[in-house]
Amino acid sequence: MIIYSAMPVEYILEGMEQERQFQEIRIDNVTMIIEPVSATQYRVVRLLSPNPQDYLHAKYTPGTVIHFRPTT
Amino acid sequence: MSNVTAQEQAPEVQDGKTAPLEAVQQLGTTQVPGMETNIYFLNIIGQIEGHMVLPPQNKTTKYEHVIPQLVAVEQNPKIEGLLVVLNTVGGDVEAGLAIAEMIASLSKPKVSLVLGGGHSIGVPIAVAADYTFITETATMTIHPVRLTGLVIGVPQTFEYLDKMQERVVKFVTSHSRISEQKFKELMFKTGELTRDVGTNVSGADAVKYGLMDAVGGLGDAMKELNRRIQLYRNDRRNSELVQ
Repeated sequence: MIIYSAMPVEYILEGMEQERQFQEIRIDNVTMIIEPVSATQYRVVRLLSPNPQDYLHAKYTPGTVIHFRPTT
Repeated sequence: MSNVTAQEQAPEVQDGKTAPLEAVQQLGTTQVPGMETNIYFLNIIGQIEGHMVLPPQNKTTKYEHVIPQLVAVEQNPKIEGLLVVLNTVGGDVEAGLAIAEMIASLSKPKVSLVLGGGHSIGVPIAVAADYTFITETATMTIHPVRLTGLVIGVPQTFEYLDKMQERVVKFVTSHSRISEQKFKELMFKTGELTRDVGTNVSGADAVKYGLMDAVGGLGDAMKELNRRIQLYRNDRRNSELVQ
């Protein structure tokens, strides 16, 4: 990967070593990658869907916090 | 029907009822009543994120989300035009070029507007539209592609970076009025940037060099886009009549 940016690379990559936990779930027939924020809150990281219209939903835009309790 | 499956798999997913309250808590905004729009607005902000997920202090534009959105724009008959607004510091070369190529090859009218800055890999994205605007105060940093702080050990590394750079130069010169010679001259100029070689091109200069089409703001960009949408509609109607 080559970063071509006006910002110094050390600022961009600061904290890169920190591990992040990603999970895959399916809501409304859309598969998405999420990461936990708290016990019941998860942040959408990205969508995995072959339907381009799914990416226009504001509800599941990356960065949105969704609420659910994982069934274990 | 889709609601049923949602409840089965993920209980307590928030429904529409609590969403306005959520918007107030998360973003400090209330929900604005929806209005049907015929343009799609694409906001290119912060770093263009590429093959690696960047640490959370970065504001990022995620290409894996933007690309399917552009496919949806092309496919959706209700959307007649695309407005790209840029305020970006650059980012991943491949991801940036991918977004630029997607915008350039979209068949619907598209207009871009550079606000605060459209630096580095933001330049090809800015020039990808049919007609490009830059505000008076906005700037575009044009500098060489390379790895910061890396001592190049083998000539192959240099060659590789040179090829990556050539892709950017080719795209920009073929989608704007700037000549390759002028663009490279700006790219390798010394004495302008503190930490780098290159140039910081401001609004009026970008137009003078032929990089962007006009100096203007939101109103100008919308007017141009609506004009192009009208032409596009007429074109389509005429071709239907011929058939």
